[in-house]
Amino acid sequence: MKHKTFIWSLLVLSALQFANCKSKEDNSATTTTTTVDTTVTMAPPPAPVEIAADTALETGLRDATKEFPDVKATTEDGEVTLTGNIERDQLPTLMQSINSLHPKKINNNLTIK
Amino acid sequence: MALETKYEAVITAAKRSGITDLQVREQDNILYIDGTAPSGDVKDQLWSIYNTIDPDFRAGDLILNVNVVLGAGSKAKVITKSSNLNIRKGPGTDQPIVGKAAHDEEITVLSKANDQWSLVKTDSGEEGYVYSQYLDIS
Repeated sequence: MKHKTFIWSLLVLSALQFANCKSKEDNSATTTTTTVDTTVTMAPPPAPVEIAADTALETGLRDATKEFPDVKATTEDGEVTLTGNIERDQLPTLMQSINSLHPKKINNNLTIK
Repeated sequence: MALETKYEAVITAAKRSGITDLQVREQDNILYIDGTAPSGDVKDQLWSIYNTIDPDFRAGDLILNVNVVLGAGSKAKVITKSSNLNIRKGPGTDQPIVGKAAHDEEITVLSKANDQWSLVKTDSGEEGYVYSQYLDIS
């Protein structure tokens, strides 16, 4: 009977120790992952998109819409809003021009004929 | 990332067609594609794909800033719809007109003033600034 108890205690002890080892391994694994993540975060972020100032945009819009008398362009906080009329085959020319002015966004509310 | 998926065809075409200094960035739910195109045809092709994905450019979620490289000394063709292209004293429509280049005329690019304006010279010797949007390298 004594012998049996001894064996059981041994089994329980070894099981506990095994569990301890496992948890240690887990801890070290977590530490490694954290280190890797930190390295990734430290990579330089891409340069932010350059947005033109409203005054520069206004000058650019005046030039871009010169050939389109029915188009009205306004700007606020880098956002360009287009209203008025345009023919569909002329729309890409106008949009290409405005896209090169470095606006933040273009709201195309034009009526297309 | 969702916008890069939406406009994947534009990005793929830009990579394949020799766009230099290509930058694709997403900021505040707008995708910005910047680069320099080797020709007007390449630029037009990208715009044609953009128009297919977002008909009439209504969504307002892409800024496609791809300009044709106009190197100093290169010949460029005037691609106005049919009218003459104004040659101005300085880079801006508020500048006085000093000459005109005809539709389809070939002129020489002397330098680039900024993203919108180029200094040019016609074969008849007129020199001044024109809006680069109406020039294509031949």
